[in-house]
Amino acid sequence: MKRVSSVLVVVIGLALSVAALLVSCLSCSDYKKRYDYLNVEHQSLHQRVPESGPDQPKTDGTTAEDAGQKGPSDPQSAMADKSAAAPGESATTAQPRVRLHYYSEPVPRDDGSSPEAQKMEARVYDIGDLLDALAEHPELGGMAGYGGMMGGMGGYGGQVPPGYGQGMGMMGGMGGMGGMAMRGGRGGYHYINAEPPSMSAAEGILADLASVREDEIWVVARPKGEAPPAAGPAYETLGSGAMLAQIQEKKVPLPLKHTDVKGKVSGYIATVEVVQQFQNPFSEKIEAVYVFPLPENAAVNEFIMVIGDRRIRGIIRERQEAERIYVEARRQGYVASLLTEERPNIFTQKVANIEPGKQIDVHIKYFNTLAYADGWYEFTFPMAVGPRFNPPCSTDGVGAVGRGHAGLSGQSTEVQYLRPNERSGHDISLAVDLDAGVKIEEVACASHAIEKSRAGSERLHVQLSPLDNIPNKDFVLRFRVAGETIKSALVTHRDERGGFFTLMLYPPQSLECVKRAPMEMVFVLDCSGSMNGQPIAKSKEAVKRALRKLGPDDTFQVVRFSVGASQFGPEPVAATAQNVQRAIAYVDALQGEGGTMMIEGIKAALDFPHDRRRLRLVSFMTDGYIGNEMQILGEIHQRLGDARIFSFGIGSSVNRHLLDRMAKLGKGAVAYIGLNDNSTEAVDSFYNCISHPALTDVQIDWGRMEVSEVYPRRVPDLFVGRPIILTGRFQGTTRTTIRVSGGLGQSEKEIRIPVEFDRTAPTHPGLACVWARKRIEDLSGRMIIRPYDTNADLSSEIKQVALEYGLMSAYTAFLAVDSTRTTAGDHGVTVAVPVPDGVRYDTTVQD
Amino acid sequence: MKAKVIGLLVTLSIVAPLLARVPARTAKEPAEGRVRFAPVHIYLDSGDKPLAAYQFELKARTGQIKIVGVEGGAHPAFKEAPYYDPAALLNDRIIIAAFNTGSDLPHGRTRIATIHLQILGDAEPQYELKLIVAADPEGVSFPGKIILEEGESK
Repeated sequence: MKRVSSVLVVVIGLALSVAALLVSCLSCSDYKKRYDYLNVEHQSLHQRVPESGPDQPKTDGTTAEDAGQKGPSDPQSAMADKSAAAPGESATTAQPRVRLHYYSEPVPRDDGSSPEAQKMEARVYDIGDLLDALAEHPELGGMAGYGGMMGGMGGYGGQVPPGYGQGMGMMGGMGGMGGMAMRGGRGGYHYINAEPPSMSAAEGILADLASVREDEIWVVARPKGEAPPAAGPAYETLGSGAMLAQIQEKKVPLPLKHTDVKGKVSGYIATVEVVQQFQNPFSEKIEAVYVFPLPENAAVNEFIMVIGDRRIRGIIRERQEAERIYVEARRQGYVASLLTEERPNIFTQKVANIEPGKQIDVHIKYFNTLAYADGWYEFTFPMAVGPRFNPPCSTDGVGAVGRGHAGLSGQSTEVQYLRPNERSGHDISLAVDLDAGVKIEEVACASHAIEKSRAGSERLHVQLSPLDNIPNKDFVLRFRVAGETIKSALVTHRDERGGFFTLMLYPPQSLECVKRAPMEMVFVLDCSGSMNGQPIAKSKEAVKRALRKLGPDDTFQVVRFSVGASQFGPEPVAATAQNVQRAIAYVDALQGEGGTMMIEGIKAALDFPHDRRRLRLVSFMTDGYIGNEMQILGEIHQRLGDARIFSFGIGSSVNRHLLDRMAKLGKGAVAYIGLNDNSTEAVDSFYNCISHPALTDVQIDWGRMEVSEVYPRRVPDLFVGRPIILTGRFQGTTRTTIRVSGGLGQSEKEIRIPVEFDRTAPTHPGLACVWARKRIEDLSGRMIIRPYDTNADLSSEIKQVALEYGLMSAYTAFLAVDSTRTTAGDHGVTVAVPVPDGVRYDTTVQD
Repeated sequence: MKAKVIGLLVTLSIVAPLLARVPARTAKEPAEGRVRFAPVHIYLDSGDKPLAAYQFELKARTGQIKIVGVEGGAHPAFKEAPYYDPAALLNDRIIIAAFNTGSDLPHGRTRIATIHLQILGDAEPQYELKLIVAADPEGVSFPGKIILEEGESK
């Protein structure tokens, strides 16, 4: 009996040990993964250090001494020391070592003299030890920086409230030192600036730093009162490719080899064909998953999978059914592809069972109408999905994670981003043929280098320069044509389903002669981490210029938001010179850090009492990098009241879906300011738009035309310089005059537009799809306004329209399966992409 | 004896949950053979007429099929993946059409399309294939013969 008991005890003990081991492994899996990743990066640093020596110019053009701080007394010798391998180690295979220098909190002295910081040093041998060391010294607030070109992991820190760890991934867990600034690296170092406890102590420690032998993390004191040095352009472009070129970036094999884009613009309608070339660089077969953007108003109606010289047209199906078929085909080893829509401007492409060395192309075709503002048409092709912030507890957002960290965000859609020192072989070529119908007077592309060739005064061929082929920012091509409109604002199409039309409705010229009423102007600045650097600098520029343009009868307010919101004053103030100066100083002090709780900004901007004597205009300045668009739009709808929203999208790859919808819901307009754009022009154009009253309550008399299902359902107000596009169905053929009437202050205005709904009207075969896409957009909009209306089965209606017209939507998907042969084996690879130009990897991506 | 019993119980307590999970996992996956993929090849015999355009309709009279891809034909004139009518697809049938205005056109019997299918269930589907129109370069229709051949996955 005793033996039995002892055996039992042993068995139970063993079982418990195994269980405990399993539990500990599971609970630490993420943590360990993070260690592994950092260690890998660190090892590569050892290889880089000798090559990136001290003579390499600093990327921001400054030195540590420039900023009033001293670096190592002899950087060259320090670097030489650095490149030397430790005994028994080769320079390229040395085990990673890290040394951390930092200050403690100032400790008051017993004798009453000034407190001095105590220098502390921790020598650690791997990142795990480092994190443990940091955990022991909470005064540091987290991991402040990391030797080499990692660029540190500061940023979000400071403002992260308890409980954000899960929602914000590493940002919550490793928040950096609030208020610190970083500088561009010197040959593989990063200097981290922090408020110093005392200058003398700082000098002593800085001298010590010269003698270190290993890769280090340096927390360097900054003299009190001195402004932190501005982040240099080199740092801001971490992860964007420009920086990578300077440091021998690591090429990451990925299945997406090339994207080719060919656009044809006829009038103001674009037909665009996108070819994604997937190639398997691995020794076993793979499934490629690629999350990519398309224009928010793209009517995607064609999908072809190309295997060698065989072309298989994809079939549009109800989404869940398509996903089931795809999973089954993948399981059985068939080559298959699936295209799904995650947001109107975010799509996922999956290609299953790509065999080693084989290439599979996917062709996608879409139609869309071009935007028009102030005489310029705009053709846009988005190339990057910006890293989105998702509020805590959300799971249907768009997560942003580092390469190889699938599932880390917990979101239903996830984009994997290349790390700052990585580059995939994926590049892009793009060409657009413009046929404006009238003389093209001017073409501009601030986003990319382009090559142009004319084919007559009305036609122009534009292509992306081969030197600018990294898909990390939106391609934005603007063109201005002779006169005020293109040849014909009315375009029609007829087929067995009936007639379809689009009509560009221009605001009446007379609007420009009338002055506006006093305004209550509310500027709302997104100050989240993704805006840090160039985007927030552009925002500030724009707001400051707009503030200076306010009239004496206007009032204004400035609201900032990141994880929370705060504002310039308790209520809007008069736009006096003194108040404007104070507001400019307030704006100047704003910085980008923390999450993007846009909902807080919306509440702060719309929830205070409205001054009825003034027209309230709310201007959002944001990149729109959030994953909860529906919630935001729903809140705007609920709280809007009499306010109008004029959004500014700031950045290289902004969330145009969100910003366009905000402006539409807010009965205003939207403008985009790229990082290379002149914000002055955008603000002046905005002021031109709001300096005159809009034509409101617009009614349309279609004359003898039998018109139905016209979108947008309610014609928005007409602002100076901002025409709107109406899309609808019609029957019959006739010439008639359309009468557009609306209110202008206390008076009524009417404009007459003669149109010819006959065989002479210009036609475009894509109009049926454009109309169907508008109908889907309208139905989706109603879902935002009435999310709890269970009577209206809007999702079924959307599905029905999409299936009938063969279009992508949130409820349909394109599927193609090659059923002629099967393959063997499987594993998955997700296509990682660079973060958009100007966006910092370290403050936006979970890693 | 008791030790054996206890040992057996311990073993069972560890192994049983694992065993219980196996059927649950496989139950979600369709049984092999019940869901399969296969192509059907569509041929059109135009006799001595050059084939410039065609339209046909396909549906399953019995059995359950889902169309998962449409591929072009053998002749270069019809190599491009043909268009289908998405509205017809809503009614479990597919209408496919293509035309070519070139001069190099097929005569006689030629494969005009391959339809990729997912076939559900054990029953072999019976197809209903109807040629809606076949036309020559002048746009004159002629009574071509349309044939379906079932293909196999390799």
